[in-house]
Amino acid sequence: MSVARTAEIVIVGGGVSGMACAYNLARRGMRDIVVLEKGYPGVGATGRCGGGIRQQWGLEENVILAHESVKIFEHLSSELDFNIFFRQGGYLMLVHDEREQALVEETIPMQNRLGVPTRFLAPEEIRGRVPGLALDGVRGGAFCPTDGTAYPYAVLWGYAEAARRLGVRVYLHTEVRAVSRLAGGGFAVETAHETFHAPRLLNVAGARTRDVAAMLGVDVPTRPFRHEIAVTEPLKTFLEPMVISVRHGFYFSQSLRGEVVGGIGLDGETPSHTSASSPDFLFKYAAALRRFFPALGGARIIRQWAGSYDMSPDHRPIIGGVAGAEGYFHACGFSGHGFMLCPIVSRLLAELITTGRTSLPIEGLSLERFAAGELAHDPYVVG
Amino acid sequence: MAKTIVCHCEDITLDELHSALAQGYFEIESLKRYTGIATGKCQGKCCIVQTLRELASPRGSAGIRAGLAHGPGEPLAPMRDEDLAALVRIPTIRQPVTPLRIDDIVELGAEEE
Repeated sequence: MSVARTAEIVIVGGGVSGMACAYNLARRGMRDIVVLEKGYPGVGATGRCGGGIRQQWGLEENVILAHESVKIFEHLSSELDFNIFFRQGGYLMLVHDEREQALVEETIPMQNRLGVPTRFLAPEEIRGRVPGLALDGVRGGAFCPTDGTAYPYAVLWGYAEAARRLGVRVYLHTEVRAVSRLAGGGFAVETAHETFHAPRLLNVAGARTRDVAAMLGVDVPTRPFRHEIAVTEPLKTFLEPMVISVRHGFYFSQSLRGEVVGGIGLDGETPSHTSASSPDFLFKYAAALRRFFPALGGARIIRQWAGSYDMSPDHRPIIGGVAGAEGYFHACGFSGHGFMLCPIVSRLLAELITTGRTSLPIEGLSLERFAAGELAHDPYVVG
Repeated sequence: MAKTIVCHCEDITLDELHSALAQGYFEIESLKRYTGIATGKCQGKCCIVQTLRELASPRGSAGIRAGLAHGPGEPLAPMRDEDLAALVRIPTIRQPVTPLRIDDIVELGAEEE
C-alpha cells in the first residue's frame, strides 16, 4: 500500500449529487476536493431517472426545496456553461376521485402561497392543453406550468466539468472498499489503488449510501427499490407537460428528441440493487400508456431500463451530519426525487459543510428523526 | 471535407464522435449518451462497430494514456495502445432488442395472463 493521499474532503459517489456538491464546495472556496465513483459518471440513479422536475408536493418542506431547485435549474445552463436541456412544459397531475380532489384543493393554495403557480384544470381545459389524452374517469388535474424536465446526464456533466475547472479531482472506476476513522480525527477512505485521508467525508452514493455509512457504523434506514422506464421511438412533438397519475403510479412525458419516456410502479417489488428489465413492466406500462393515450398504440418502444429508488421510511430525504460523527455528512433516501432536488440540496450541503449553517432549514431531514418517532409522509410520492 | 455519418438513425457524424472524445467522453456508456450514438431506432446495430473502433484508436484512448480518465479496472501505469484497445467494452444492450409496437406489446401481455 502506497502513502495515503490527502484531501480536504472525500465525496463518495459520482452521480449528480456528488458532482454538484463538489462544484458548490469548490465555488465556496474549498480546495483539494476528491470525488470517488465506482463506475462511470451517472451509472447509478442519475443516469436512470426520468429527468422530471416538479414542485407539486403535499409537504411544505418538499414544495420549498423543489421551488428553490427550479429557480436554480432556470439559470443552470448559463451558470455551468453547459446546456442541460431544461424545459418547463409543466406537470399535469391527474385527479381521479373525491379523495384526490380534496387533496389538490388543500395543497394548491399552500403551493401558491409558497410561490408555486399550480392551478386546477377542468377536463375541457386539459383537452385543450393535451389533445389526445383519454379523460374517462378523470375529474381534472393540478397543473404547474413551471415544472418540467432536464436531461440528467447533461446536468451531471455540466456540474462535473464546472467542478473540474475549479480543480476538483474525479476518480472514475474507483470503488470505495473501506472507510475508517483516523485516530486524530478525520477519515481514511480505501480504494483498490490508494487510500485518501481527509478531515471530512461526504457520502452521496445513492442507493449505496447505506453500505458506505455502515462501514463507519452509521445505520441509515434506506432500502433500494427497482423502478423501470421505457422509451418510444422519436415522434413529432405532441405532448407539452409531464402527465402523472399518482393513483396508478404512472407518468410519461416527451423528451426534446421526441421520445415518449415514462414509467409505472410494479406491485410486489422487494428491496434489491437489480437493474434488470422485466417483461411484466413492459406489458403493464404499454397497457397504461395506450389507455391514457390511445393514439400511441402504433408507436414502437425501443428501449427500457431500470434503476434504484433509494427509499427512506417516510419517503423524505435524509440530509446533513450525524451526531457523534464529526466531519461526516450524507444525503440519501431521496425516494425517487434526488435529481430534481439536487441543485438546492447540493448548495445547502456546501453551506453546511463550510459554515456549519444552512440558508434553508434542513434539521427536519436529519437521520435522528427516525429515532424520535413521529414521521410526516407526502401524499404525492409516486412509487 | 465530406461529412461521414456514423449513426444513420440520429445523423451523428464522425466529427461529432471525435469532438466528444476530445472533450473527454472516453467511455462507451458516456459517449453513447453524450452523442446519442446507439440510441436510435436500430439501437446500435449499424453504428456500434465503428464507434468501438474509434474508442480503441489512439484518439479514443488518449485520455487514459494521459491519465485524464480511468478505464474499467486498468492499472495506473502507462499502457500501449493495443492493450488499451482491449479495455473497450460493448455498451449495455437494452431490451426489447427489436422495437415493438405498443399495440403488439399489450396483446402479448394479455396472452401472458
